[in-house]
Amino acid sequence: MSSFPKSEASVDSGPMHGVYKWADERLGLTDLAAFAAHKQVPQHKHSFWYYWGGISLLCFIVQLLTGVLLLVYYRPGKEAYESVRQITYDVDFGWLVRSAHSWSANIMVFAVFVHMFSVFFMKAYKKPREFGWWTGLGLLGIVMIFGFSGYLLPMDELSYFATKVGLQLPSTLPGMGAVVNNIVRGGPSVGENTVQRFFALHVVVLPLLFMPLLGLHLALVQKHGNALPPGEAARPASERRSVPFFPNFFAMDLAMWLIALNVITILATLFPWDLGQPANALASAPVGIHPEWYFMSQFQLLKGMGLVLPGMMGEIVGMGLFTVVLIFWALMPLFDSETVAGKRGRIATWTGYLVVTGMLGLTIWGYAAL
Amino acid sequence: MNYPVWDIPFAGSGWVIGIIAIFHVMISHFAVGGGFYLILAERKARREGREDWLDVIRTHSRFFLILTTVFGAISGVGIWFSIGLASPQSTSALIHNFVFGWAMEWCLFIVEIAAIIVYYATWDRIDAKTHMRIGWLYAGVSWCTLAIINGILTFMLTPGKAWLAVAGTGRESSEFWAAFFNPTYWPSLVLRTLTCFALAGVWALVTASRIDGFAKPELKSEVIRWSSQWLLPSFILIPGALAWYLYAVPESSRQLLQLGVGTIGSGLFTQVARAALVTTMSSATILAVVYFLAWKNPKDFGLGHALAVVFLALAATGATEHAREMIRKPFTIGQYMYSNGLRKSEIAHVNQAGFMTGSLWTSGDTGEAMFRGQCMNCHTVDGYRAMRQLLHGRDRAGISKLLGMLHDVPANSPYKNYMPPLVGTPAEITALGDYLGKLVGAAAVDPVVQGKALFEANACNACHGDGGSGGPLAPALVGVGTRLPGDKLADFLKKPSDKAAAGGMQAPKLSDDELKALMAYLNSLK
Repeated sequence: MSSFPKSEASVDSGPMHGVYKWADERLGLTDLAAFAAHKQVPQHKHSFWYYWGGISLLCFIVQLLTGVLLLVYYRPGKEAYESVRQITYDVDFGWLVRSAHSWSANIMVFAVFVHMFSVFFMKAYKKPREFGWWTGLGLLGIVMIFGFSGYLLPMDELSYFATKVGLQLPSTLPGMGAVVNNIVRGGPSVGENTVQRFFALHVVVLPLLFMPLLGLHLALVQKHGNALPPGEAARPASERRSVPFFPNFFAMDLAMWLIALNVITILATLFPWDLGQPANALASAPVGIHPEWYFMSQFQLLKGMGLVLPGMMGEIVGMGLFTVVLIFWALMPLFDSETVAGKRGRIATWTGYLVVTGMLGLTIWGYAAL
Repeated sequence: MNYPVWDIPFAGSGWVIGIIAIFHVMISHFAVGGGFYLILAERKARREGREDWLDVIRTHSRFFLILTTVFGAISGVGIWFSIGLASPQSTSALIHNFVFGWAMEWCLFIVEIAAIIVYYATWDRIDAKTHMRIGWLYAGVSWCTLAIINGILTFMLTPGKAWLAVAGTGRESSEFWAAFFNPTYWPSLVLRTLTCFALAGVWALVTASRIDGFAKPELKSEVIRWSSQWLLPSFILIPGALAWYLYAVPESSRQLLQLGVGTIGSGLFTQVARAALVTTMSSATILAVVYFLAWKNPKDFGLGHALAVVFLALAATGATEHAREMIRKPFTIGQYMYSNGLRKSEIAHVNQAGFMTGSLWTSGDTGEAMFRGQCMNCHTVDGYRAMRQLLHGRDRAGISKLLGMLHDVPANSPYKNYMPPLVGTPAEITALGDYLGKLVGAAAVDPVVQGKALFEANACNACHGDGGSGGPLAPALVGVGTRLPGDKLADFLKKPSDKAAAGGMQAPKLSDDELKALMAYLNSLK
């Protein structure tokens, strides 16, 4: 990318120089540019996986822009379904914005998962990047709640019943299940109040939590740079290749963004999201109600446990098992902290294989069992 | 239905044409634009005395020769085979009208093929001046083949008033030139010519990307940048040419294009607008990729990048041609022949004489033959525009209602802009309804249930009481079937007795089928 001008060189002379100098003294632009140029991105056979964080970020930007456009027409509460119907069938390009929002949401969840597993297998959570791992897990959690809360907002048959099933989960919490359920649903059952609450969560609370955490996550990535996978780190420094993040890797990142943007738009254009029948609490649930694919493995874990254990025990044990794995997963940087590959490193790798296989297996089982 | 039906399950015969044609368009437009690219590149190289350029151009001319003559010719013949099978009536109409057009096309085509073979075979064997003359001959003649086929293609969308006035009289070819230079001829020719130049640049990037950037950085940069420039005129002028084209197409076609802007609702025809969006987006991406990867960074521009641009160009051309085909609905030849091969002028006659009378190639079930003859040009049972999916949830009466609307084509019919009218005698249409009903497993309507609804809809229960239990104004209807057996009940309903009429009884306004249903209900009251 030799043709990209260096940020300082381009303003050395000419009329822009004065403007730059003026702004630099007040904003510290040179420091920022130095910070941006400081990070080196290693180049090796696994470099492909470095792009997935960027793809997740692009999806988030798409979500932000399309989300704001949807806000212009969406009305929570009683008119939720009607307003989404208008967006999908009446408003010019409303269907496109809504479809892009939905597709981008799905791709974002997918990209975040790929990003997490690639970080995991490259052992990029080790010292000094523990907080990168924890903020990333936090972001993933928020993304999942984004997905769950956004899914209800159209209030069609499918989203209504899927949410109803999903919200039965908290009731397995010992002791406080009913209370939590009541707070989340805003009443004894899923209805207008639930949409209103989910709406507040989806467009205000979650973004407020997400954006500072994302800022921290990105600042940490910038500070520590990309981690080397163990195999690559073992090679002598003279054999390793790397490119500066800015502008070289950034340009490749942009090319990836262009591809991702095309994928989102093609999916949204050729396979727009339809809207089902309006939710009707009195109707019987349609056949094969199931959660979105990214909740399928957890859903199936509970269902599977329910098959072997009697009554609520199945769900409680399933939840417990899930929680234990999640905690171990989150604390992995503390467990597998050695810099050289050792026994703990191998345990971590095998845990990763187990989790990936388990999630894929449960998801496939879940869809097969529909 | 004078011809056998070509049954392509799942995809439908239209897509066979579509796939071959989109492939052909990519190559044939390259064959036209690429000719100009070759000769202008050669002229530049010779004027500047660049031997290294000439080597690249010679390599490109071999790639060009093989791609255009082999794949262009094969796919061109493929179009003939597939349109002849999928739309024999339209193909026949085109041949009748344009046989001399194709004769000209064929002559030009022979010159074109001969010129490019000679051009490639005579590098360094004849003097530069003659070689370039052959190149110019190729470029000129290949553009003429486009100018001719463009007349026939645009004719199908907008045949023009003069030709329509003689259509069906047997003197169609007297308006050959009016049909040829029809209302969309010129905007389409400009659009296609611009596309040719853009595709010449796109394909040239494939050859240029294979120049070794480490060994010959200068050469690679120059050729890549020069080739990138070929996309520029198209990207600047195509929006204007497109506006001109859209101005020239019929209002109904423009409406079809706009339908999908506001909704994804009305069946699959909203996909025209969505296809146009794919064109816009892939074109914008081509512009970005060519600018950032080829123009700004030519030395690193690899084969993968070039193929990505080719793929994007394929998406753009494919989506555009798809949208263009779709805005022609419900016709294959505008205002003259419907997409299922029926002429507009023969509709009234077929409704009277029956669709099956002219169908020499069918035997067996009338309903199925009606489906194959009138629906299968655009629909499949299970795949593309699948009947099972589109009719899902309709009962037999709902199917009848839909078929009635397709047959009568009332002014408010949402289908009239994309679907040909359904033709045939009432018996044939009922047979088609039965066939479709069986196909989607539509629940036959219980006449008693339908009759009860009619009983209430016509306010019979206002006087006779709910369930015919009787009221102060009129007698109970329980057991009416025994009191008025057989046709007597029907006669009474059509013309109530004087006594009943004096009491306020009116004959309900019902179709024969509805009357039957009402009687079934009344007879069930015991």
